[in-house]
Amino acid sequence: MDAYFYIILVVGLLSSGICLLAGILKKAPNDATILSVAAVEVALLVYLVGSIVRVIAGEPIAGEAWEFWGYLATAMLLPPAAVYWSILERTRWSNFVLAAVGVTALVMAARMNQIWY
Amino acid sequence: MEEARRVKDQHSAVPNTTTGASANGTGARNTRNTGPGRLLIAVYAVFAISASARAGYQILTKFSEAPLAYLLSAFAALVYVVATVSLAKAGSTWFKVSVAAVLVELVGVLVVGALSVFDSVAFPHETVWSLFGRGYAFIPLLLPILGLVWLYRRRPVRNA
Repeated sequence: MDAYFYIILVVGLLSSGICLLAGILKKAPNDATILSVAAVEVALLVYLVGSIVRVIAGEPIAGEAWEFWGYLATAMLLPPAAVYWSILERTRWSNFVLAAVGVTALVMAARMNQIWY
Repeated sequence: MEEARRVKDQHSAVPNTTTGASANGTGARNTRNTGPGRLLIAVYAVFAISASARAGYQILTKFSEAPLAYLLSAFAALVYVVATVSLAKAGSTWFKVSVAAVLVELVGVLVVGALSVFDSVAFPHETVWSLFGRGYAFIPLLLPILGLVWLYRRRPVRNA
């Protein structure tokens, strides 16, 4: 597991925690929950840029390259999709949908690490 | 209490229907894709995407290694896709499709889970449902149960 994974681990768990708490407190999605999910997207963006730099620098991906990029691209679609959905229905339940993003991104980052090394 | 909750959920869904962005435009009022239902649909969507991607990858790259397991993966992916779509759609027909999909999912995870435990030789290759979905934090086992509870609570009222 590399630094990119740990960044997503921390940001993802924090984001899921904030969203879960907001959902339990019966709050509708607000700045805190939506921005925390945006932070997950930023963390994934850092992973993307870092990975592109590493590939250009000549570092090989041990597993299937297209599988790695597939995971990364799919993971990056999750935060915008969840935020879009949470705006369509502003109830506490949308916060639970937002909470799912951080954990899912975390699992996908772990898998991306496995593929890379 | 259930009635009160239902009313509350519908109230909170009002901004949704006024924007016209939801799938409620079919006339029949759909209470399955709001509130907790959205969370259920979201989790199903994640499984639909990941199971489809995994099955596609397995079939394209190493199908001959374990055709049965990988066909099962593809079948599981299909079930998740059908469940996701039918849960999001309004109307009693889609309700029946949802029930069927979730029941197939429950049977699938139980049968494949049991087979993978008792006959690990025949099922050495991973599918979403192997070992009752242990590779996915047992969510595949939990999901159809929650799905059935949710569908029962929001079952269409006859002659309504």
